[in-house]
Amino acid sequence: MTGPLLEVRELARHFPVRAGLLGRSRQVLRAVDGVSFELQRGRTFGLVGESGCGKSTLGRAILRLHEPTSGRVLLDGVDITALDRAGLKRQRKHMQMIFQDPYASLSPRRTVDRILDEPLALHRFGDKAQRSRRVLELLDIVGLGPAARHRYPHEFSGGQRQRIGIARALAVEPKLIVADEAVSALDVSVQSQVLNLMADLQAEFGLSFVFISHDLAVVQHVSHVVGVMYLGKLVETAPVDRIYAMPAHPYTRALLDAVPVADPTRRDKRLVLSGEVPSPLDPPPGCPFHTRCPRAMPVCSSRVPRTIDIGENGRPHRVSCHLHDPDIGI
Amino acid sequence: MSLPTADMNPGADGRLQPVRKPANHSLWGRAVARFAADRAAMVGLAIVAVFFVVALGVWLGWWGGNWAETTGGQWQPPSSEHWFGTTILGQDIFARAVFSTRTAFEIGLVVAIASTLLGALFGALSGYFAQTPVDAVILWLKGVLDSIPFYLFVAAIAFALDGNPWAMHIAMIATFWTTTARLVRGEVMKLKNLEFVEAARAMGLHPLVIIFRHIVPNTFHILLVQATIVFVAAIKSEVILSFLGLGVTDSVSWGLMIAESTTEVIAGHYMNFIAASSFLFALVMGFNLFSDGLQDALDPRRPGR
Amino acid sequence: MSEALLQVDRLSVDFATEAGTVRAVDDVSFSIRPGRTLGIVGESGCGKSVTSLALMGLLPRPAGRIATGSVRLGGVELTSLDERALRRLRGAELSMIFQEPMTALNPVYTIGAQIGAVLRRHERLSRRAARTRAIEMLERVGIPLPTRRIDEYPHELSGGMRQRAMIAMALSCRPKLLIADEPTTALDVTTQAQVLDQIAELQQELGTAVILVTHDLGVVAETCDDALVMYCGQVVEQAPTRVLFETPRHRYTEGLIAAIPKVRPQRLARLPVIPGTVPELAELPRGCRFAARCGFADETCISRQPALETLGRSRVACFHPAGEQAPSA
Repeated sequence: MTGPLLEVRELARHFPVRAGLLGRSRQVLRAVDGVSFELQRGRTFGLVGESGCGKSTLGRAILRLHEPTSGRVLLDGVDITALDRAGLKRQRKHMQMIFQDPYASLSPRRTVDRILDEPLALHRFGDKAQRSRRVLELLDIVGLGPAARHRYPHEFSGGQRQRIGIARALAVEPKLIVADEAVSALDVSVQSQVLNLMADLQAEFGLSFVFISHDLAVVQHVSHVVGVMYLGKLVETAPVDRIYAMPAHPYTRALLDAVPVADPTRRDKRLVLSGEVPSPLDPPPGCPFHTRCPRAMPVCSSRVPRTIDIGENGRPHRVSCHLHDPDIGI
Repeated sequence: MSLPTADMNPGADGRLQPVRKPANHSLWGRAVARFAADRAAMVGLAIVAVFFVVALGVWLGWWGGNWAETTGGQWQPPSSEHWFGTTILGQDIFARAVFSTRTAFEIGLVVAIASTLLGALFGALSGYFAQTPVDAVILWLKGVLDSIPFYLFVAAIAFALDGNPWAMHIAMIATFWTTTARLVRGEVMKLKNLEFVEAARAMGLHPLVIIFRHIVPNTFHILLVQATIVFVAAIKSEVILSFLGLGVTDSVSWGLMIAESTTEVIAGHYMNFIAASSFLFALVMGFNLFSDGLQDALDPRRPGR
Repeated sequence: MSEALLQVDRLSVDFATEAGTVRAVDDVSFSIRPGRTLGIVGESGCGKSVTSLALMGLLPRPAGRIATGSVRLGGVELTSLDERALRRLRGAELSMIFQEPMTALNPVYTIGAQIGAVLRRHERLSRRAARTRAIEMLERVGIPLPTRRIDEYPHELSGGMRQRAMIAMALSCRPKLLIADEPTTALDVTTQAQVLDQIAELQQELGTAVILVTHDLGVVAETCDDALVMYCGQVVEQAPTRVLFETPRHRYTEGLIAAIPKVRPQRLARLPVIPGTVPELAELPRGCRFAARCGFADETCISRQPALETLGRSRVACFHPAGEQAPSA
């Protein structure tokens, strides 16, 4: 098996929104609007953006937790978007999710044992004794003792719950895990423990991650390739070292500038973006970022920028910005 | 880098044992502890328990079995033999009031359990499938049932079933489930957006499994409180219906006793009325205290998680 | 050195929980001078938010109460004031902004009505004068079209705008002290940068002292003059921000700074971690509260509690503080 594990092609997810009196005027919220990327085996695709940019919706659309409006998702060559219910259920064991809120993501009235056994039983992982051994193994993998299995989620701390959530996702031996803000709710000291755990799991099981986060530093730490989202579109995608060293899109640059640095000697810099993200119900014409872009040109408000590959040595670096379009010129 | 810890992970978290939370380790355990600390609730529970024992005794034939027999003279005043005196037919009023406790519990339990089950089922379905045809049908049914005046509805069912003793039960169940369903629907709509439900979907579970295994258990606190409220409502309705001649026919109940007493009171005989209404008052009071305490104990928003 | 504006002395706060009474804030002392910014930093449950609520006299009743200690604002002892006197001070002398402006603003009143109410109460302004001042404040916190925004309801504003409105409200009576509890945690990074800049700018203009409560060391590094690190209800280290980051003394501070993922030129294979988890307040160890997670802990640390002592330009509660070597990471 060669080729990428995950291919996302022109994926879109639109929500109809009713507005006005009696909900008569219908609008469309383009939460995800034509996103394409691919992810190699054993790699992590980091997805960053501000709240409302559609990154969580994209993650759920990939897993078909949200039904995509159009576009395709190929997992190991299988078109996820074309599957019927039974086919989708079979594919579910290959793709799992880790959630943000360690308090809301585990059924509060079920013991850890039952939480972990459920996916195993559903996807027919052996008989009862085998499944029971597997549950212990999973607890061990995520660094929890066997005593944990008879406890309820509320008896654990946030970091420990997140480990249980990871164990649940791992239970069915998936190839792909979508992690949606998986460490955002954790304290720094616990966050680093969980991030290291995820790195270990990737090394050990060859997992691929789509790692969704608003935290650029965390994304840099875990990702191999990073995609930056703005108003439902990927505006820049590049290998991690490149995107942090030479961000090509003005939005990426602004995001990087805005991250507070734990170093009081560096208070200078900072290109503070003006304004706020426009409503995705009414995105600006042309380039979606032109209303806040410090380098906007007249063409930006009228024409949607093409996606251009400015990568070197066969490592793609795609950016959707007129500044890099040789046909537009600066 | 002087930190010695960089490679102690993931075992660094140390074969993690659960964070020890003091005492009661289940969610119910904590609710019980809170309930036990609530004095009014415990009084309510004691009253309900006494009544339950009384009803149980009637079922088991320990007492009250002689409610229909003539054991004394007409309209005897309270005595050591007849604690509440006797009726016009010479029946022991105390025995009748005791036997009526069984009638009340029967009606309360049947109606509470059935309407809670119905309410949970329909509420969960319409909440999970909100804004779909399933929801629309259930809401429509609920709207129709809610719009029929209760007593008219009972009379209609009693008439349609031609004197069937279950007419009253059926009418109450058919009307009482709607409130439970409305509460459950709201809670389910909230719960279904939580991540553990998404996790269940991501696993590939069937929607009905998700609803009844993952979501409904989290509405138990609502169901329990709602069941106690319906229980009280059923007992009170029974009294009124029996009083109107629409309820119990082949047995005795507090409602029938009060109906009988209407003519007696004019003649100066109050015991039938006093017995029935004080039993009713005590049980309803006890149940309300119990139900309020339950609600407080189960409220997930209470501080001290 | 000018006189301290706020002087907190040996403040302790008790909380009644189902597991019994716990000491959420234990013997905390610090002071802040006019116009300065003090960062209180720590992980969840370390007592930083409880400290700020105690300063405001806003501890949830009846569960929380100040057990011992004194809080003096410009010479006035706050702990002995009654609720009425405290209400007169809040909003006028000291005010507070919260993490989630949506819950801190009342959804049924317009922004203008809420800012106006504060001004009319504390400065006895007329309705019209209050409105003018409110518009002026909104403009100063960088809200575009303030004359229109003033008549909008909280839900009509975005998260960043709501937080600005909160700041406008908090600063409308020119308080001497502003307590900001995680003011940017709910905001996106680009908005966070805007809001932090705005607070700093207004602070300069009005000479307000700011206490910034946060879990984010990056925010502390960028905005605070001094910093206070809390762990399990106690102050473990206190230093000027620069000193704290250059030479962290407490092993917890050191670990915390190392554990933050940073945007850095070279990707690290593994993040340094602090092992274990924060102990429950109900079952604290006898000795140093960090000992179980500390790689340098010995017998002394397990049996005795370290006191805050001066070391260089820092004050640190540790038996084995980190040395003078260059900062790592």
